[in-house]
Amino acid sequence: MINFEEELKKFHPSLEVEDAEEAIYNQDLTDMADLMVKIVKESKKAGE
Amino acid sequence: MICYRCGCTLSEHDFCTNCGADVALYKRIIYISNRFYNDGLERASVRDLTGAITSLRQSLKFDKNNVEARNLLGLVYFETGEVVAALSEWVISKNLRPKKNIADDYISMIQTNQNRLDTINQTIKKYNQALTYCNQDSLDLAVIQLKKVLSLNPKFIRAHQLLALLYINSEEWERAKRELTKCLEIDTNNTATLRYLKEVDEMLLPEEGVKPSKKQKKSEEVVKYQSGNETIIQPVNMKEGRGVTSLLNLGIGLAIGIAIAFFLILPARIQAAKAGIDEQLRKVSEQSDTKTATINELEQQLAELQAQNETLQQDVAAYMGQDGSTLQSVESLMKAAGAYLTDDEDVVTVMDYLEQVEKEKAEEENENSEAFDTLYNTLLALIGPQVAESYDKDGHDAFWAGNYADAIPNLEKAFLYDATNGQALFDLGNSYNRIGEKEKAKEIYRQVIELFPNTEKAEKSKNFLAELEDAEE
Repeated sequence: MINFEEELKKFHPSLEVEDAEEAIYNQDLTDMADLMVKIVKESKKAGE
Repeated sequence: MICYRCGCTLSEHDFCTNCGADVALYKRIIYISNRFYNDGLERASVRDLTGAITSLRQSLKFDKNNVEARNLLGLVYFETGEVVAALSEWVISKNLRPKKNIADDYISMIQTNQNRLDTINQTIKKYNQALTYCNQDSLDLAVIQLKKVLSLNPKFIRAHQLLALLYINSEEWERAKRELTKCLEIDTNNTATLRYLKEVDEMLLPEEGVKPSKKQKKSEEVVKYQSGNETIIQPVNMKEGRGVTSLLNLGIGLAIGIAIAFFLILPARIQAAKAGIDEQLRKVSEQSDTKTATINELEQQLAELQAQNETLQQDVAAYMGQDGSTLQSVESLMKAAGAYLTDDEDVVTVMDYLEQVEKEKAEEENENSEAFDTLYNTLLALIGPQVAESYDKDGHDAFWAGNYADAIPNLEKAFLYDATNGQALFDLGNSYNRIGEKEKAKEIYRQVIELFPNTEKAEKSKNFLAELEDAEE
């Protein structure tokens, strides 16, 4: 049985067009490749 | 594929030919990203947009520079009605690859049409407002707002889902299912949609466990018994009984129908018919009144005309002569003219006719024509002196003979036709005096004194008048 109140909590306000710029800037673009490079760099530092 | 350290294009080797960096792991990551992109593309092609979003986001988690995956993710977001999310992806994509990027076309498509952009913004604001209404328990307003949102953007899956959730909450299962079906047409594998749909289907369709129980119940409603070697299965409720019940229900239904017709429909019809008849009666009555008024008016006019006719007939009868064709005065004048033309010496006859004309003119009290008056005056002028002379002679003859009774009318006429004949007037007075009509005699004497003063007749008249007055005293 669906609980209306619980289901309603899953719906969030949609981003408006004015807020798009801020959303783009705040987006975390870190990917697996960045992590790998970071790990490689840190491991090299640790080896030295 | 380029080296993450120096940016040089990588070869098939697991190291960079330019800087010597180990790129085996890096290549592996890029391959995984591409695999997720391919998976997302496949899912999007079969409208599994939720699955596509998941795969494409995974792809970007591995390689943020996968522009194709980002562009496709934007496109999928756009298809689900998440326009701002789509724009965000396309803008990032354009920044990663400014040239030869299809994201540029997508952005231009939205930004060049200001109306479209405004509509998108309004849609989002209304959706947010609807969500606020939901949180404030104003569910009816939320439904109205969501309907507006979907009229502006029919592909907005989250709006469809929220509306379906509201319908589910109000137990409007059919409507909820309709919204969820629309969701599935856009995104075939949305988890929330499928979950809601399952709930709705359970409410709409009978439970699977119920059917057998009904069968069992049916089986319980039969009577089984053995007849020899055969097992007889007989329903508890006989068909005949059902038929009778049906007929009874039919009869009751008919009776109710007839009662409704008799008590509800028939009075209304009768009242409507009465109203129609009353209306017609009123119109006929109005017409009748109008005609009666016209008849009264015409009768009044007829009475007036009859009265006028009678008056005119009387007038005409008065005007008509003995032959019934000419006026009496005219007839007499014509006779006078005829008598004069026959014998101009017979002035007495002519005078008789003229006197008759005079008399009739007085009776008729009407003005005669100019020709009538001219003829009358002409005749009178022609015979007047002769008539006066004739009357004077006859009068004086009678006077001297002592026949005063004959003398009086002749002398009167003699003076009438000759006003200068003072002697005739004086002898007229004497005649009255002799026959004893003192008052008449005195009147005539006064007339003589007045009309012929300073004459012998006047002096004598004074003397006679004095004698008469003295005699009275």
